[in-house]
Amino acid sequence: MKNLVIAFGMAAALASVAAAQAGKSQTVNGLQIAVVGVQRMEKAFLRDCPPGTNTVNAVERPGDKLSVVTLSFKATPDAKNAPMKRPETTAADGTVYRTSVQFVDVASKPEYSCEFVYRVPPSTVLKTIQVEGAKFDLPAEK
Amino acid sequence: MEVDRRAFIASLGGVAAVNLMNHEAKAEALEHYMEEKLDEMVAAQQPEKFPTVAEIEAQITTRPYRRGAGSVFTGQRGENVKMLEPMPAKPTLQDFFRLRFAPANHVLQSATRAMKTGMSEEIILACLLHDCVLSLIKPDHGWWGAQLFEPYIPEKSAFAIRYHQTLRFYPDADAGYEYPDQYYRIFGHDYEPPEYIANTYKMLKNHKWYMEPRLVTVNDLYAFDPNAKVSIDPFQDIIGRHFKQPKEGLGYDNSPSAHMWRTLARPDNPL
Repeated sequence: MKNLVIAFGMAAALASVAAAQAGKSQTVNGLQIAVVGVQRMEKAFLRDCPPGTNTVNAVERPGDKLSVVTLSFKATPDAKNAPMKRPETTAADGTVYRTSVQFVDVASKPEYSCEFVYRVPPSTVLKTIQVEGAKFDLPAEK
Repeated sequence: MEVDRRAFIASLGGVAAVNLMNHEAKAEALEHYMEEKLDEMVAAQQPEKFPTVAEIEAQITTRPYRRGAGSVFTGQRGENVKMLEPMPAKPTLQDFFRLRFAPANHVLQSATRAMKTGMSEEIILACLLHDCVLSLIKPDHGWWGAQLFEPYIPEKSAFAIRYHQTLRFYPDADAGYEYPDQYYRIFGHDYEPPEYIANTYKMLKNHKWYMEPRLVTVNDLYAFDPNAKVSIDPFQDIIGRHFKQPKEGLGYDNSPSAHMWRTLARPDNPL
C-alpha cells in the first residue's frame, strides 16, 4: 500500500511540474497564480485555499461530473489575508460555473496549490478560469 | 510519509498521555497512526460506497441509545459518561462553551472561517452557535437551536440557525454550497428529506433572508482538523455586542428557553 501511495505522489508531482511549466502566471492581490491542470474526479476535496480546515468532499452524481482545476500560488511580500472571491470558470458554450472552494488566509503560506471543484454537465468543456480580475486559459481535461 | 507530529500527539490525547507510554507503546501507536493515514490517503483516491437508508435503519436496534440523544447524555464511542463539572451559579454563554459544549471544535472552526471570509457579525454569531444544541438533542437541531438562543440573539442569527438544517439538504453552487458526502454516510445515499423540510425549503427560496441560513451552511464544516487551533477568544467582542447575557444567568431568567439551559446544566437529574 505504501508503494501505491508513493506512486500516486510521484505521478502527481511530475504532472504538476509539467503543467506549471506550461501555464503562464499572473499576479492577483500579491499572489502569483498559474494553472496546473484540469482533471475529472469521482470524488473531490472541497478544502479551503490554501488547504485548511474544511474537510467536506464532493461526490459525482448521475447527470453531472466534477471538473477539478488546480492552480498554483506563490505569495509575494504584497500578498494580504484579505477575503477573495471564489474563482469562476467559463465553459466553451459561455456558461459560468462557480465552485464551493473558498479562499481563506491566502497569504498564510509562501507557496501552495489548490483544487477548485466545479460540478458541471458531463459534456462540459471548461475553457477559462477567472480569479478576481485575472483570466486564465485552461488546458484540456485529463 | 511525512508525519504531522502535533496531530499525532493530539490523536494520542496530548503530551501528558504520551509521557505515560513506554517506548514500545509509542512505536506501536506511531505505526498504527501511519497505517490509518495511509488508508485515508488511498481511500481518498477511490470512490466510497455509501450506505442505504435501509442499512442505516437496520443499525437502530444494535445500539443501547438512540441516535438523537444529545452528546451530554451519551458516552463517547460506547464508553460510560464522565462526571460533569458543575456550572457556576449564574452561568454565561462562555461557561456553557467551556463546561457543556466543549470541545466545540466544529462550531469554533465554522465561526473562524466565517470571520476570515468576511461574513457579517450576525452570521459569525450564527455559525458559532448553530450546532451547540447538539449537546442537548440532535433531531430537528435547527429548530431546537434557534429556540435555545432566540431570547438572546439578533433575529437574523436565530433565523439562520433555525433554517440552516433545511438548507443543508439542498446544494447551491452559486452560493458555494455542495451537498456534503457526510450526509450520504449518516442519512444514506438514497435519502429524501421529509415533506416538512421540502416545504420549508420552498418557503426559504423566496425569503428575503435566504442567504442568512445559506451562509451558515457554506461555513458548516465537517470533521475535526487536529491542526486547527480554535478558541472562543476571537469571538468575545461579537458575543458582547450581540448576545444578551441575562444577569440572573442562563437558565434562571424565566425566558422561554430557560428550562433548556437548566437541562444542559444538570443532565444527570432523574426528573
